[in-house]
Amino acid sequence: MSILTVSNIKKQFGGLVAVNSVDMTVEKGSITAVIGPNGAGKTTFFNLITGVYQPDEGNVQLGSSSLVGLKPHEISRLGIARTFQNIRLFSNITVLENVMVGLHKQLKAGIVGTLFQTKKVREEELRAQEEAYHWLEYVGLAQHLNEEAQNLSYGAQRRLEIARALASKPRLLLLDEPAAGMNPRETRELTEFIHRMRDDLNVTIVLIEHDMKLVMEISEHIIVLDHGEKIAEGKPAEIRNNVKVIEAYLGKSAVTPA
Amino acid sequence: MQRLTSKLKGNKLAQIILLVLYVLVTSLSLYLAQASVTAFLLLLVSLLLLYYTELPDRLKWVIAGVVLVGVIPFVASTGPSYQSYMEVATVVGIYVAMALGLNIVVGLAGLLDLGFVAFFAIGAYTYGIFATAQAANFMPFGVFPLSGDSFWIFILIGCFVAALFGVLLGIPVLRVKGDYLAIVTLGFGEIIRIVFNNLDKPVNITNGAMGLASVKPPEIFGFQFVYPNQFYFIVLAILLFVILAVRRFEFSKIGRSWKAVRENEIAAQSMGIHLVRTKLLAFAIGASFSGMMGVVFAAKQTFVDPTSFTLLESITILVMVILGGMGSVPGVILGAAVITILNLQVLTEVTNYLNQLSLNGVISFPEALSPAKMQRFIFGAILIIFAIYRPQGLIPAKNPVFDEESLKEGSENHRKKQIKVESDKGFQA
Amino acid sequence: MLADILNTLPQVLVDGLALGAIYAVIALGYTMVYGILELINFAHGEIFMTGAFIGVAMLILMTGMGWLAAMPAILALILVLVVTSILTGFMGVGIERMAYRPLRNSPKLITLISAIGVSFLLQDLVRFITEYKRGNYILTGPSMFNSQFTIKFSSVSSSFSDAFFKTSTLILIICVVVMMVALDFFVNKTKWGMAMRAVAQDRDTASLMSINVNKVISLTFFIGSALGGATGVLFAVQYGTIDPYIGFILGLKAFTAAVLGGIGNIRGAMAGGIMLGLLEMFAAANLQLLTNGVLGAEYKDVFAFAILIIVLIFKPEGLFGKAVTEKV
Repeated sequence: MSILTVSNIKKQFGGLVAVNSVDMTVEKGSITAVIGPNGAGKTTFFNLITGVYQPDEGNVQLGSSSLVGLKPHEISRLGIARTFQNIRLFSNITVLENVMVGLHKQLKAGIVGTLFQTKKVREEELRAQEEAYHWLEYVGLAQHLNEEAQNLSYGAQRRLEIARALASKPRLLLLDEPAAGMNPRETRELTEFIHRMRDDLNVTIVLIEHDMKLVMEISEHIIVLDHGEKIAEGKPAEIRNNVKVIEAYLGKSAVTPA
Repeated sequence: MQRLTSKLKGNKLAQIILLVLYVLVTSLSLYLAQASVTAFLLLLVSLLLLYYTELPDRLKWVIAGVVLVGVIPFVASTGPSYQSYMEVATVVGIYVAMALGLNIVVGLAGLLDLGFVAFFAIGAYTYGIFATAQAANFMPFGVFPLSGDSFWIFILIGCFVAALFGVLLGIPVLRVKGDYLAIVTLGFGEIIRIVFNNLDKPVNITNGAMGLASVKPPEIFGFQFVYPNQFYFIVLAILLFVILAVRRFEFSKIGRSWKAVRENEIAAQSMGIHLVRTKLLAFAIGASFSGMMGVVFAAKQTFVDPTSFTLLESITILVMVILGGMGSVPGVILGAAVITILNLQVLTEVTNYLNQLSLNGVISFPEALSPAKMQRFIFGAILIIFAIYRPQGLIPAKNPVFDEESLKEGSENHRKKQIKVESDKGFQA
Repeated sequence: MLADILNTLPQVLVDGLALGAIYAVIALGYTMVYGILELINFAHGEIFMTGAFIGVAMLILMTGMGWLAAMPAILALILVLVVTSILTGFMGVGIERMAYRPLRNSPKLITLISAIGVSFLLQDLVRFITEYKRGNYILTGPSMFNSQFTIKFSSVSSSFSDAFFKTSTLILIICVVVMMVALDFFVNKTKWGMAMRAVAQDRDTASLMSINVNKVISLTFFIGSALGGATGVLFAVQYGTIDPYIGFILGLKAFTAAVLGGIGNIRGAMAGGIMLGLLEMFAAANLQLLTNGVLGAEYKDVFAFAILIIVLIFKPEGLFGKAVTEKV
């Protein structure tokens, strides 16, 4: 059963076609990777799904509802969460509060309730703190709960972004280069972690990644973009031997000996 | 000195004894030497010292209450400067509330509003128009001026009208990107002032540049509030409410969404935060505090005209927030108090002193340099210096500290619950 | 009603053009700095104001020493313009160095606050120097270029009335045209102009191309401030009386002009300035008429701000700009 269907999506910036007529289907509970050389339009593709950009043409469908024309916060409410290539944490507030922002849409406290600190609001706030703490434990950052997010190490910041995304209880989780800047050991841990996340939480994962070892190990389905177009798609083994893909990454000479 | 502070640290009893001593000494000196502005200011400083003690929060509130409600009005009451002290304290209270309102907009939500005084004006005019005969010019029914009894309801009305204007101005303004917001709000502040200045025709609503005179003073059970020492208590009550409200909002879902928007709009949106609604809420709540104090201001001055609501006022409130520390409630209270006292007391006192000296021929002091006229210079310098050397202000904002142990327990429960939910119907709850 | 509007139109055009020329040059300063630093330089209006005061002070001084009578007025004006623009140019560089450069990596909010601080500081600095020297901070310069001209619009069509203007208006417009043409040439045709455009495009890449970014930013401030200061002098000569607070509102309107033309767009700022000047004068002359007396000329500032707000909301890229999307 597919959870996300992208059909014929297109986005243009001035004269540059960033994403051109791309189709994609993501199976529920799967791990899908979107790969491609730098500037292939991968992040733009994520931005189109999450509503940061509006597509010029085409459709994005989550389950049975179309996402086109929706604002990012509306799409988040439908169950998509994401992390960012250039980490976007709330730097000056605590690690725990960062995750609590992820819980935002589940909390019901209104102005009046907050003003009078009704029992319900206080309870809800306490539960939210506990739940946020739970997610910190899940990604292994529990001991940092009271630190400012900007003081975390690079790898920890990436994990915090994932915890924040998980707190919003997504059906679909988009990870934008989760392994960027990590050393081999950290990458290995991340690989395991992504697997565990999918199995524990029953969440569908789409990730953009440059680390081919990670991609080949983890994903069940791979989509290759180049110059905004989809040039290949299939199982890791198929992609590994695809001539067009090798060409896109290494240039024509790698395929046809000069 | 360092040894002394390290000894004091952790010793609550010593802290409380010193504090009480301090309050006693300053109170006595104010009580005995009535005209002493210094003693009055030092007495106010006791509240700052109180903030730095390590006493439990509840006790701090009680002590602050005793000093503000009992000690200050009492020891100041015997001398000839009583009303002028109370006037200063009242105005400080008004500005503190406004600065706390602006702090929500600038400090928590990160939106630079340079026309904030507009909401103060709206509050002041709301009461001013109906508590004078002015309303009779355009209201088809009712007898105006309304009696002073209506003042208490007007505090609420001022609050809501200002909040409403906050939303109305916010709807177009908040669609504007980041740094343009500053200039648009500045424009809006000026527009409101110009409109109030000219709304004496075609229908005379605000009486234009002439202003509204003899606004009815507040009244309850036949008792009229006329003197600063009476307004002092009204302001204190509203201020208490404002501080309570700010603290509650700050550490709630709403406050977190403000901070999230301030820190990173795109990430905030992708976590399900409605950008415009969150910003509008900051605007509305910030404005409502100003609106309430506007009503009090109109009643206290018994006169409202557009010259009280210039750009300089907006900047003054901004200086209070920057000086004290953006996002920091104790900081902003300190900033507002310092700037207001500087404005009302210190600058005039220094000017008088200098004038005295030049009158006696000790020095020749040019009128142009009189400190009372140097507000713009001083405020400008404060803004630049704090922006460059101490952007976090005098008392930087603090993040809440969560208790790991209790969360650990709670998280335990949560995990059990979650596993149960998962076995029921997967992770989509 | 239409007849009345047509009747005053020639005068509105002349006055609007003069005011618009002033807005246009000040708008250049905003647009150049914004293009390069993405900062609203609130102090720019004050640089304009300071220029006006320096100019008038020099003219008064020269009158006092009898120089003004000894040399042709136009020569005196050119001398004053050159000296003023050099002084305000360095002032702009100094402001950037002290109040903005230390904050280049700070949040935008903090830099804006510093800019507002500079603006207020300058107002008071000029205020007390003037008040100290003259006893009053409102200053009136020696009257120059006062001979009146009439353009006989009435001979074109009887529905127009004649438009009057002073020599100073003519000088103002000529100077502004010269400044704009020179700037346009500088930015588009010289090596330094190219460096400026490169830094505005992408500061990091420009620095990799061995462009000294700090120098280019200083240069931008120098040029913008020099133009602003010179315009201040022209303003003082045209309108006679100045005070230390003229810069703020005028700066705000010039910023509106810059936004109207598309911020960062130099030619756009010129067009936006002229447009705003014309619109404002038109509003001042006809608002009362158009609204049946409900709104008078005192709403002309409201009118200008309303334009700013409407443009920022519906077409933030300006009338001549292209829409940009924030990079995520």
